[in-house]
Amino acid sequence: MATASVSTPLKSHTGLFSSRTAGGRMPLTPSPSQRTTPVKVNSSPFTPEKADGAHRAASRSVYGGNLTAHLRASRANHRDSPKSNIARVVSTPRKVLELGVSNFTLTGTGVHSKPSSSSSSSSASSPNGNTKKTTAVKKKPTKTTISYKGDRFIPNRSASTAYSDGSVKLGMREGRSSRSRTASTEGSSVLASATDDAITALESLSISDRRRDESDNHDSNDDDEEASSYARPSPRSAAYRETLANACGVNLNTRILQFKPAPPESSKPVDLRQQYNRPLRPAGAANSAQFRRRIATAPERVLDAPGLIDDYYLNLLDWSSGNQVAIGLERSVYVWSADEGSVSCLLETSPDTYVSSVKWSGDGAYVGVGLGTGEVQIWDVAEGAKVRSMFGHDSRVGVMGWNKHILSTGARSGLVFNHDVRIAEHKVAELVSHTSEVCGLEWRSDGAQLATGGNDNLVSIWDARSLAVPKFTKTNHKAAVKALAWCPWNLNLLATGGGSYDRHIHFWNASTGARVNSIDTGSQVTSLRWSTHYREIVSTSGFPDNSLSIWSYPTLVRNVEIPAHESRVLHSCLSPDGQMLATAAADESLKFWKVFEKKPGHSQALSSASSSIKASSGQHMTIR
Amino acid sequence: MTSTAPEKDKSKTHKLSLKGSAKLVAEFFQYSIHTILFQRGVYPAEDFTAVKKYGLNMLVSSDDQVRAYIKKIMSQLDKWMVAGKVQKLVIVITDKDTGEHVERWQFDVQILSKPKSSKSSSSKSRSTATSAKDQENDSSKSAETTKTEAEIQSEIAALFRQITASVTFLPQLQGDCTFNVLVYADASSEVPVEWGDSDAKEIVGGERVQLRGFSTQSHKVDTLVSYRLVE
Repeated sequence: MATASVSTPLKSHTGLFSSRTAGGRMPLTPSPSQRTTPVKVNSSPFTPEKADGAHRAASRSVYGGNLTAHLRASRANHRDSPKSNIARVVSTPRKVLELGVSNFTLTGTGVHSKPSSSSSSSSASSPNGNTKKTTAVKKKPTKTTISYKGDRFIPNRSASTAYSDGSVKLGMREGRSSRSRTASTEGSSVLASATDDAITALESLSISDRRRDESDNHDSNDDDEEASSYARPSPRSAAYRETLANACGVNLNTRILQFKPAPPESSKPVDLRQQYNRPLRPAGAANSAQFRRRIATAPERVLDAPGLIDDYYLNLLDWSSGNQVAIGLERSVYVWSADEGSVSCLLETSPDTYVSSVKWSGDGAYVGVGLGTGEVQIWDVAEGAKVRSMFGHDSRVGVMGWNKHILSTGARSGLVFNHDVRIAEHKVAELVSHTSEVCGLEWRSDGAQLATGGNDNLVSIWDARSLAVPKFTKTNHKAAVKALAWCPWNLNLLATGGGSYDRHIHFWNASTGARVNSIDTGSQVTSLRWSTHYREIVSTSGFPDNSLSIWSYPTLVRNVEIPAHESRVLHSCLSPDGQMLATAAADESLKFWKVFEKKPGHSQALSSASSSIKASSGQHMTIR
Repeated sequence: MTSTAPEKDKSKTHKLSLKGSAKLVAEFFQYSIHTILFQRGVYPAEDFTAVKKYGLNMLVSSDDQVRAYIKKIMSQLDKWMVAGKVQKLVIVITDKDTGEHVERWQFDVQILSKPKSSKSSSSKSRSTATSAKDQENDSSKSAETTKTEAEIQSEIAALFRQITASVTFLPQLQGDCTFNVLVYADASSEVPVEWGDSDAKEIVGGERVQLRGFSTQSHKVDTLVSYRLVE
């Protein structure tokens, strides 16, 4: 076989090209012009005007270059170069050819191309050896492939993109010798390096070849197109991907691109359920994300409050303007000084009754104490002595409120009395509206209005100047109203919270009586406190949440919910500086929460003082 | 686009309308991202402000970081849209804790073949390519060439109303969620470093609901939401 191929040197060259063409490969294909040139041209490759000839020579010179047969090749291109090539190479290219091209292709070549009969015959003869040669390829080393047609051939077939590009250029730019030369040299050098690759690729090629041949069959006319499109990706991987893609129905022309940077974090958890009912409002600066503040969700400190009566209708906790906390525990009232951390027992009632409410006077000097008997006592805390007792109610006094020298007391009977504590005939007004126990009572900060809430589910708003009838009576709540709070920055705004069957917080315009907003909190509202420096309100809840919730106003978005206690939160009060909230719960604990901290890093007297005496006060308050 | 323009100007006006249509679709994408982030509670409601658009109150995030993030996406998307490279835009909502994709909003973009140009081979090949891609969605209504601006706006408005209304049937999203934007682009697209290949982030065993679409002279957009079924 080898000899046979050797004997067809000259034509084999062109024959290779043409077979290539038949194989769908092409650009170098002996176009008519090319075909003719070798015969005509004797000029050197460097002569520009003879473009075709130059090109031809150039391509040959590549081979020659490898062999240092450059000169000969360029000059006597036609005859010598093929021979020299053949002498060294021929056998391998043959095999390559045979390997790469199926029988069908080969016969096609013969018909299709113009090569001399000798070339076609040689190629025709080669098929016989097809199978045998496979192994031979491995043995006949890279060198042969490089030097001769191999580079033309193998790379196209196998893997080298660069080469095929180069060959395309050659075919297209026939006129420019210099260009084509560089292209071809590049191609050949690339090829050389890619040869190893190519050989291994050849082994696998037979698979794809079959497929290829079929397609070649159909569009032999489109050889050029076909070749260039195939040449780009490595045929193996391209074919594989294509079949795979077809099998999966995926379009290879599409890429799924992801914007890789992570999206910004949500500033806080979002509960859509609240969002859906929310009225649409533009976000003010105070509410927008960058101004949102962090809220400490752990208590600053925890004190025991043994004996705290678990009764929703009582009000047993208050914080004075003098920074003292009074708490009623069964029959006693204790005063804890937040400044010093000391705790003292202010009073103990007679055994037949209990403390049902405590309330500091505005100046923090006196504390009003309501008893289960209906008696109201006023104590001077500094002296630790009772100032006076006021009688009038025939049932327990569950709630009280100071307005300067006026002490308003609400009793289980539903009656509210105003007492002028300075005069002997202390009872100056009787506010009749509620038909059941009064458990909420709050004076507006300017003393012009009074709000009361009762177990009859009513909210009454009183004008201080005419207390005969309430200015407004609101019936919206469906359960007892204990939580009442006047807004510090909008005097007309009143917040009221209902009991366990109601669970709502309503907001009222106290001038018009209109309800301006509502929140369904999902649990019993036991107290409400407005922040003095944030546009927020904190609510404490009983069953089932036992939590603290801080709501933005007017957006009514819940900024945070703190699971505060193990059982229902009964009472709450704000520190005089407005930063700390104290809560007392049925789990007999008193907790302090820094929910309205003014600014991080800004230390306040309160916190530093309270922490400094933590140990001692903790012991004192633990009255077990 | 004035249909009364003389034949000579046709090509010029058409070019403009293609570009304008791309911009319009891109703008629609921007608002739909904002709307989905709001409606699905990816970011808190108070971060959003209402702006008048399409005759509706559209909610747009006022959080600087979110705005910057979407702006970055949009700047690239604009380019791709104008170049006609975008086949789909997908917004995927992912559970932060489990990494599971819980909701997937897909906008299929179809570039309509030029209504006035002769059926040249190039446009034919393009149209066959697109029709092959989404045969299911192809309502073959490419004949509507004379759609007014107002009609397009009202189509978009209807689509947004439907997105807003879809929160009624979509399951409540549990826990913290985050989102990703995917673009199905032509393989030939130029891809900046911030964008990278991704999988489709499909929802495994998800329910799919086809929503409305809208079309301009040059683009047709179809909307599909798929979501995870709650067990």
